[in-house]
Amino acid sequence: MTPATTDGAGEKWNLKLYTAGQSPKSLAALDNLKRVCEQHLAGRYSIEVIDLLKNPRLAKDDQIVAIPTLVRKLPEPLRRMVGDLSDTERALVGMQIKAQK
Amino acid sequence: MERISSEFEKELQQLREKLEEAEDVRRAITRGEVDAFVVGPGGSGRVLLLANAYQRYRQLVERMQQGAVTATANGHILFANQRFSEMLGVPLAQLYTAPLESYVTVSDRARLSAFLMVSARDSQIEVELNRRDGSNIPVRLSLASFADGYASLLVTDQRPLQWPSMAVDALDSIRSSLDKLNQSLAGDAPGRDALSAIGEEINGLARMIDEMVDVEGSAERKGSL
Repeated sequence: MTPATTDGAGEKWNLKLYTAGQSPKSLAALDNLKRVCEQHLAGRYSIEVIDLLKNPRLAKDDQIVAIPTLVRKLPEPLRRMVGDLSDTERALVGMQIKAQK
Repeated sequence: MERISSEFEKELQQLREKLEEAEDVRRAITRGEVDAFVVGPGGSGRVLLLANAYQRYRQLVERMQQGAVTATANGHILFANQRFSEMLGVPLAQLYTAPLESYVTVSDRARLSAFLMVSARDSQIEVELNRRDGSNIPVRLSLASFADGYASLLVTDQRPLQWPSMAVDALDSIRSSLDKLNQSLAGDAPGRDALSAIGEEINGLARMIDEMVDVEGSAERKGSL
């Protein structure tokens, strides 16, 4: 299964970012994610931040093992990306905003 | 045969995806892109933070103007911040593992013990701390969290603010100097006008201080200015 990149206009992106409070990597991930979304998905995305320090049980829903982790709920298929998204190129490919070379 | 091949392809694809996810976790860890992990079975997961993930909280706690203490249920101090050490006048190193109650006035110790017990804890109590120099400080202990059997408390100094009275004292001193200067400038009308303007500025500052804080006796000081 190799889905095409899904940067089509009008498509809604539903993203969940699992964080651990104000940990440096959690803050960096949210900052990087916001930047990528604004540059490539402006007006077409929603980010839900889930602080696992407040409610660790929610980690089970998306099988989270390391934090931060980004989960792309929509467009399908579901995708997970672990890390602070500091590698923009990798983040774009991982989110399938951009095709892998 | 075709069906077996199709199932095999599907299983192979699932294995590839799992391998990719595992590889992504490994990559993120080795590149230092994560600072916390979820451990524990199923829905009982807990979040473990790597040491550097605490840095931001630690800096906040160390620099805040409130004392912070983490103690066991039987009241032994496991952590205290610099501010709490300053409140007591006791070096930080001496506080670790010391019984918190030894720094509380005798009459407040029973209430402190009850406060630290899970079953009887309130959200906050007011007690007096014993300083090393023998003086006491009224403080409010607020329960910030209770986890793993440890209570984390915020300690707020309940004494009236010191800076307003210090500021008013300073203004009194300036006013006194101006009075002397005013007398020495008896024949210098422009000089006296300038001093009068400075005096008005000082009165304005005093009024600002009174408006900013509700300090006991502020009316008396206002009159003296």
